[in-house]
Order: sequence, then C-alpha cells, then structure tokens
Amino acid sequence: MVFVALPLIAAFGLSLFHWDLLGTPEFAGLDNFQQLVSDTATIRAVVNTFVFALASVVTHIGIGMLLALGVHRTMTRGTKYFVRTAFFFPFLVSWAAVALLWKYVLDPTFGLVAHYLSTTTNWLASPTWALPTLIVVDWWHTIGYTFIILLAGLQTVPAQLHEAARVDGANGWWRFWSVTLPVMSPTIFFATVITFIGAFQIFDPMVIMTQGGPDGATRSIVQYTYEKGFQSFEVGYAATLSLVLFVVIMLVTGLQFRLSRRWVHQ
Amino acid sequence: MDHPLLSRRRFLQATGGTAVAAALAGCGGGGSGGGGASSKELSFVYMGTAEQQATWNKLFAKFTESHPEIKLKAEGIPLSNWGDFFNKLSTRIAGGQVPDVIQIATEGQRLFASKGLLEPLDSYIKKDQATIDEYYADMDPNLIEWDKKYASTDGKTYYLPGEFNTMCMWYSKDLFARAGVPEPTAKWTWDDFRHACEQIKAKTGAFGYAADSAYFAAIMPWLLTNGTSSFTEDWSKPTYDDPRVVEAAEFNRKLVADKLSPPPGGTFDAFTAAAQGKLAMFGGGRWPIISIRNLKATQKMGIVPWPTKVEQGSPVGWNGYPILKASKKKDDAWTFIKFLISKEGSSTFAQLGGTIVPARKSIANSESFLADAPKGTEYLYQALSYATPIPSPDKGAAIQKAIEDGWKQVLTGNAAPGDALGKAQTTLEGLV
Repeated sequence: MVFVALPLIAAFGLSLFHWDLLGTPEFAGLDNFQQLVSDTATIRAVVNTFVFALASVVTHIGIGMLLALGVHRTMTRGTKYFVRTAFFFPFLVSWAAVALLWKYVLDPTFGLVAHYLSTTTNWLASPTWALPTLIVVDWWHTIGYTFIILLAGLQTVPAQLHEAARVDGANGWWRFWSVTLPVMSPTIFFATVITFIGAFQIFDPMVIMTQGGPDGATRSIVQYTYEKGFQSFEVGYAATLSLVLFVVIMLVTGLQFRLSRRWVHQ
Repeated sequence: MDHPLLSRRRFLQATGGTAVAAALAGCGGGGSGGGGASSKELSFVYMGTAEQQATWNKLFAKFTESHPEIKLKAEGIPLSNWGDFFNKLSTRIAGGQVPDVIQIATEGQRLFASKGLLEPLDSYIKKDQATIDEYYADMDPNLIEWDKKYASTDGKTYYLPGEFNTMCMWYSKDLFARAGVPEPTAKWTWDDFRHACEQIKAKTGAFGYAADSAYFAAIMPWLLTNGTSSFTEDWSKPTYDDPRVVEAAEFNRKLVADKLSPPPGGTFDAFTAAAQGKLAMFGGGRWPIISIRNLKATQKMGIVPWPTKVEQGSPVGWNGYPILKASKKKDDAWTFIKFLISKEGSSTFAQLGGTIVPARKSIANSESFLADAPKGTEYLYQALSYATPIPSPDKGAAIQKAIEDGWKQVLTGNAAPGDALGKAQTTLEGLV
C-alpha cells in the first residue's frame, strides 16, 4: 500500500498544483489537465510511446516465438543451453550500457553499421529512422526476456497431446495451431502484457541515445514527464502526465484482460 | 489446461502494481530523503567528472591542511552540463538534502538567488572588507559588474565572482603545418577559418572543425562573433530567430554538409581526435586542458580567439560559491569560500590544471597557470574584455534544451535553418 497507493494519491494531489520544486506550491485547480489537452508535445509523446509499444509487442512476441520454436525443436541439449544464454544475456546488461554501446555501433563517422553497410545514414539524428532504430535496439536488449518466457511455455506443452495429434494425422503446422498455441496461450498473454507495460515505460535509451530528438521524434511519455518535472520545473504538470501514463497502462491492460477471454485457453 | 499460470488478481498485483510504483517514482521528489547536512561536517557540492575529481581532491587536501578544525565533506556530481547539475541539485534540495556550500555557474545563479535559498553575503563581506577589496583589485572589473547585474534580483550579494570560462578556438599546430596553412592570428575571420578547414581537409584528410550543438561551447561563440545573441541583454526576450543567428547556423550546417566537420549526433571525441591529428580545430574554454594533458598533446595545440564576422565575441560563465540559508555552519562555509578565492587556493587550483580560468589576474598571468598549457592560453583571460555573460533565464535547463535542439536540427540537415530556429524561438518565448 505504501509504495503504490501513497505515490498515486500524492501524484493526484500534485497534479492540482503549480509547483517549481524550490518555491511553494500554488493551487491550480484543473489547469494542468487543460494544458494537457492543448499541449501538442504531450500528444506527440503519447503517439511515439504507442508506436514504440505496439511495435515492441508485435515484434517481441513474433520474433521471440520463432526463436523459442527454433531452439525448442531443433537443438541438442548442449547447444540449447548455450543459445538460450546467448539470447538472454543482453537482457542482463543495463539499458545505459546498451544505449552507449549502440551509440558507438551506429556512429555515422566510424560506427560498425556505417562501415559494413557503407551507408551514411545518421540513424539517431534522422527524424524518419530514429524511432525504428530504437525499436531495433530494444529487440537486441529485451527480446531474450520474451524468448525465455515463451520457451518456458513451450516446454509445458505435454508430449502426449502432440503424439495424439500426430496419430490423428495432423501435420506440423496444424499441430502448432491446434495444440501448441492453445496450450501456450496463457504464457503468450503474460508475455504480451509484460512487454506492453515495459515498452510503455521506456525511458533510458531515449534519454541516452537521442535525448528525445530529433525534434521530439523519439520522446516517450516517461521522458516527457521527466523533462517537465526536472528540467522545466513544472512538477504539477509532470504529475498530471504520470497520471495519464497510469490510466493508459490500466486501460490497455484491462482491455487485454477482457480480450483475453476470447483467445486465452484456461 | 485446467489452471491458468497465474490468477488475474495475482497477475495484476504482480505486474500492475510494480508498474504504477515505477511510473510514479519519477515524481515523488524524493520525499524520504530528509537528512540534511550533517552538523559535524561542512558539506560542499560541485560539478566534477571522474577525470576532474583528482584535481579537486588535492585542492581540498590543501584546505584541510590550513584549516584542520573544519571537516570538509565535498561531493562532485559528474554531469556534462550545468542544466542537469541544477536539476539534480534542486531535486535534492526539494527532498531536504541541503548542502552548506554549492558551486553554481552563471547558468543557475539567478535562479537559486531568486528562490530565497541563499544567505546574503553582504555582512560577511563587510567583516572581511580588506580581503574582498584585495580580491576585487586583482580581477577584471567586468566580472564584478556582471556578477552584480545578473546574479541577484534584489540588490543583495549572494555570490563572489569566482573562476570563469570564456571561449576560444583550440587548434592543432601539427595539422596546420602539415597542410601548409599559416597558424591563425587573433584577428582572423570566419572566411579565414572556413578556408583553413578546406585546405586541411584537402591536404591531410582530417576534419577541420567539430561542429556541435552545445549552447555555451558551440552555439554562442558563433552568434556573438556575428554580432547577435540568443537573448536580449536583460535576458527577457529570446532573439533566436534573428537573421544573424540563422546565418551562423547555416555557416555551421555547411561545414557538416561539406564534410569539413564530422556528422553530429555521434560519439566523435574532439579532444582525442585533435591530439591524434584527425581534427584541426575545436572550440573550448579552459576545460579541454585535462584531456589534452592526459593525451600529452599540450605542445601540439594552440589557442586563438574565436574567428570573427562582425565583431569579437565570446560567451562567459563564472562560478559562484554561495552559502545556503539552511546551513548550520555558515562561518565555516565563509572560511572555505575565502580559501577558494585566496591567492593560495586559486594558484593551487590553477597549477593542478583546474578546468576554469582563475579570476585573479595575477594568477592567470602566472607560471602556475601558463606552464604546460598550449600557446595562446592567455587569450582566455583577455576574452573577458569583450565577452558576454551566457544568457541564462530561470528555466535554464529547458531553455538550453530548446536552443540545442533547434541548432541540432540545422546541423543534421533535418530542417531549414529558418524553420528550425523559428520553432525554437516559439518554444523559448513560452519559457521566459
């Protein structure tokens, strides 16, 4: 309660004030909420975050599933351990280190990408490419996590079911579709919700690699909240933004649970 | 499957709860910090990277030597710009952790003074008038005047002007010689500069200049030498869409477009590149000295005033060391400040290779400052005669971000200079 309810109440309280962190807070009524609606930068940050989150969820589950299937089916025990560790390893490295590392890899003057693709694209400084680039870097960092969850899910599929399906004459694709997926659906659901929440709170790579730029093209909600609270000293407005984040995550997660009744096998 | 992996309720508790806590942690302000300064030690907070830490530590050792009765607890916060430093500091103070003395550069002086956080120094100055008179007599009068004009809003004195930084152009003597280009003189122009970049690129393949979007170090010098600035003289109105600002931005964009400058947004390290002969020039105050010394390249480098178009110009920012109103050790704090501005403290710092120019003329012209430094180091002090305090209205960090974002858009070629700077101007108008 202390760690969830109190900050939530505090944030709601703060959102009703103008406060510059050093002076005394002034009561503002619904000013901050009005500002929210008219602030184009907020809308941009929300859109960016949604794009990032949707792309993350779709690609993480898709690619993570392919990797998990590949590792589960084709590998021997020894290689399986190795590959599993290799895929999961980047997730153990902190985002700050990953972001700095990729900043070097993507450097337009001497980076590996520029060297091997012989391109002069300035990935992180281009309004078109900056967000997609961050999405790809996020794969590198986070996909191992989705992969491990899905692999664990795959391992729970009982072999007898597959056997039975095989005896009934189902081919590989059909067995995947009617046996593996339904059994795994709670795992996939879990991975979807976790990935979405994680993606919605993305902050570190933006701050370190692009500072939200170029021209706000990669600014996420959390980053914007930080900028407002601790750079512009509009603490009340920042609290309002964090409430928006809270509401959005609650709504989307709620929606996911509701929709899950249609496809999650329980 | 009969049992779901997790019940819905458990799942929400496990994930939703953490998510909310994490999301809101960002705006809690650190209310549980409490604490405040320890009553035993004098706490001092300054901005310093790990590389600079050693230098500061030697200075503190010297202080402890002469004042063993005062226990100094100094803490360097390693950040790359003043905006971030002040953000961090404000958050801390809001959370109840108030140090006794802080290092505050021009960018934050007015902000901190106007918030009523600082103790006026006037009575302390009166008590030690002779010391302060001696100090002021050894200083460029401009510094004293600017400190009065910009660092306070109510006529009280909160800061003594301390060490400062102005901007000059650092250049690689080696590369100029290899390309057969004569070394720049104090009276050179933008055209001379551009010509040198072209010649060096053509003959040696090295980059001419590291164009960048740092407010103090890479934007302001170009504006001031073009006879303009980012704000009006009293910092009340931004002038970032002035045609001369646009012209300066275009000039820089052209350097990038013509590959005389590395593309921005990467990880290009100008100091190392210059020391290795891959870059001919970068802008800097005193601070590159530590890297350049570590790279053993002080003899290979030279310093000249910034090239001019309309007039000579340089931004200037200086340190102030205020005493916090909440401090319980104000007398000790004053003793520490007096040490910092003393001849002894100042020359120790200069000798160790501090990242700033001493405010005392006698030290800035002495061997302790000029030895093992590039030729032309004295230009940094001379720049005080024509410098302009870096415009720093209250919302410093946000303002700096808007200015740098606009410039970066131009440098990368993402937007036309007029559009990008016009947009930044609108943002700035909303911030003052």
